[in-house]
Amino acid sequence: MKTVYKLSIALGLMAVFGLTVVACSSTKGNYTDVPNDEVAETEFKLEKSGAQLWGETCNRCHIAPSPSDYNDTDWETISLHMRIRANLTEHESKKIEEFLKSAN
Amino acid sequence: MKKLFTIITIFVLGGTLYGQTYNTFEPSKTQFMLRGYGHTGFEYMDSGDETESTFLGSAFAPIFLYKHSDRLMFEAELEFVLEGDELETGLEYADVMYVLNKNMTVRAGKFLLPFGTFMERLHPAWINRLPNAPLGYGHDGIAPSSGIGVELRGAFDLGGPKLNYSVYSTNGPRIKDGSEEPEEAGILEFENYEDTNLAKAFGGRIGLLPFSDSSTEIGFSAYSTSGTGEQDSDFEDIGAFLYALDFSLVKQIPGLGGIVDAKAQYNSSNVDTATFIEMHEDGDEEEYSFDNQSNSFYGQVSYRPTMSGSNFVKNLEFVARYSDFNAPEGAEWEEKSKQYAFGLNYWLSWRSVVKLSYQTTETEGGHDGDGITNTDGLFLHWAIGF
Repeated sequence: MKTVYKLSIALGLMAVFGLTVVACSSTKGNYTDVPNDEVAETEFKLEKSGAQLWGETCNRCHIAPSPSDYNDTDWETISLHMRIRANLTEHESKKIEEFLKSAN
Repeated sequence: MKKLFTIITIFVLGGTLYGQTYNTFEPSKTQFMLRGYGHTGFEYMDSGDETESTFLGSAFAPIFLYKHSDRLMFEAELEFVLEGDELETGLEYADVMYVLNKNMTVRAGKFLLPFGTFMERLHPAWINRLPNAPLGYGHDGIAPSSGIGVELRGAFDLGGPKLNYSVYSTNGPRIKDGSEEPEEAGILEFENYEDTNLAKAFGGRIGLLPFSDSSTEIGFSAYSTSGTGEQDSDFEDIGAFLYALDFSLVKQIPGLGGIVDAKAQYNSSNVDTATFIEMHEDGDEEEYSFDNQSNSFYGQVSYRPTMSGSNFVKNLEFVARYSDFNAPEGAEWEEKSKQYAFGLNYWLSWRSVVKLSYQTTETEGGHDGDGITNTDGLFLHWAIGF
């Protein structure tokens, strides 16, 4: 058990260190040489609408909420809460929040 | 008198006019929200020798959210449940959260542990598709539900697939040494919030959503501590290692005309072998030990015919769940249980559901004795989130 415990601590610390390095590194510089319209075109192809993300993401745990049930300020609070609680990416949570605020 | 009336009128109307002119009614930067959920219902249980039926007193779980800024937030959930003739209260969680960057958030306080997904994401009554938790959760369960400590969590977009993670350290569990409840010697008690030793628990979960539609998630969780007993006691160095595997699939399948939701989680608990004392009726003491390994599993499938032309049928949901729980052989709480649950739900709205469920449980051993007990239950619950 001691070995397992030490191993799990070591793996945990390595994971924290690795995640911190990755999370804190900026990838902004990697895109500076690429023409803006090309980036925009690529992003356009991959982009999902907020409505699509709302349907896919919220339903993973509970039925997707009705946009009209809360006002814009409430949705900002709920979006931040759900981003953390459900471990959503920043992109997902922002797109869903935009959709909910536009459709309520 | 007329002058006084005129002056008062000017002040009142003037104040109103000033307020309407200069108050922009913009929302404040900070916001406080009260959310939560509640449920009530009726239960009928038949275990052969004994039958009972009861209406359930309402359970009420208010959730307080305070958004201080776009990065800083506080969350807390209280729990009020009528149990027997008493009102039981609890603090489910209370923690402060700060978004460090787009991939990392820190939480501190008492928080729900991401050990699998059931306790952290799926247990609230308005989310859980059945009226109760699967075997292996709750009182005497082997899956930790919450802890006091600090956590880092976040998610990465891998260009379609997504990865989410959580690593945390908490005060950790306490092993029951049998001095107060001999029949529970060896059980890990997670609901203790005063740290009685220097050992901390470390754990985490990694979840992978391999498809771009986020329909599927597989997760691995681990939880480990080097000491579960009180400092300077015989149990101080009794360590524990727990792990969980979880799976989720939620997808609209046109061929089936609706949404299929499948969830599963396997929990394993491995506690170091310790020696406990059994007191006989004649006053003699006997030492005993056992291989302290437990596991539990649940698999659940539900289906909502959301593509039906009928509004009534659209709101229906069919659920089936299998769960089992195996406690260590040789322990006073040795148990092998299996449960089958079937349910029919009607969704009044996205957050209010009426659940009708039939469950049959076969228990060998456990607190009730050495034999096999079959218990059938009929449940009618009504849950609402707000």
